[in-house]
Amino acid sequence: MPAKVMQVFPQAALERILQSLEHELIEATDEEILEAAHALGMKPEMKGSAAFIGLRHPGARAPSSWVGPELLRRWLSDSQRIGIATAPRAAKRGPDGRRPPRPPKEPDES
Amino acid sequence: MPPPPDTLRRPTEMALAWKLVTEIDLLRLKTIARLHARGLLPDISWEDLLQEALMRVLTGARRIPAGVAPVVFIAGIMRSLRSEYWQCSGPAPPRKYAASGYRSYRTSELALEDSAPDPERSLIAMEELRVIERLFADDPVVLRILDALGAGLSAEQIRSTLGLSKTDYDSARKRMRRCLLREGLTCRPK
Repeated sequence: MPAKVMQVFPQAALERILQSLEHELIEATDEEILEAAHALGMKPEMKGSAAFIGLRHPGARAPSSWVGPELLRRWLSDSQRIGIATAPRAAKRGPDGRRPPRPPKEPDES
Repeated sequence: MPPPPDTLRRPTEMALAWKLVTEIDLLRLKTIARLHARGLLPDISWEDLLQEALMRVLTGARRIPAGVAPVVFIAGIMRSLRSEYWQCSGPAPPRKYAASGYRSYRTSELALEDSAPDPERSLIAMEELRVIERLFADDPVVLRILDALGAGLSAEQIRSTLGLSKTDYDSARKRMRRCLLREGLTCRPK
């Protein structure tokens, strides 16, 4: 039964728990990870292991979500794009109360 | 040796090729990504979180500070991506209740923010807390530890409050990790 704190402030409780669980996963040893994989019937040591589905092998994602060499070269040479990634977030709404328009998508982006 | 540049590469593949992370680290990051994808709407998958976090490091948008392990840093990026997601996709800005009557000229100073939690997010958070509870449904000690973690208690406070020795607490943490790793490595959709 969840504590009263979780019932009153579930978002805060969830964030605290996720942060603690993240710490546990970071602290997990390589042996613990391999043991868990083996318990699931996976063999991460082998090429094409199911453990890497979604990582090295596609899960439910379309190939268009992969990064092609042209797109990567464009990103690495576009200092403005990198600047955008670290620039302060734009205001949510303009003076007229409307959200600013989104930047156009790259041709390769889904 | 890095693979030839003229092939399609996922950020995870590039991270391996450039020796940013090892394969075991990738598995660890997968479990962390699945954790942080909890409570997000279905259009954001754990793969999106992890690939975006890796891409930010690979493109130089985020630089790993000296002395910080890449796994720790990338996990932190995923955590902040989760916050960014909620900030960008949240509801309308908090309502402000203006002062009435003759003090209206000081409206901006006296305006009060509605600090009530967003109902939709609260419902989503409650559901995710139930899912996490079900993961450890067979382990009452771990459930009590989770309650205490949700209340913001430190490890020492938790041991003291629950009357757990250090050995019992570490043992519970090990069981927690085992369960999290098995859930995190699974191929089930988020």
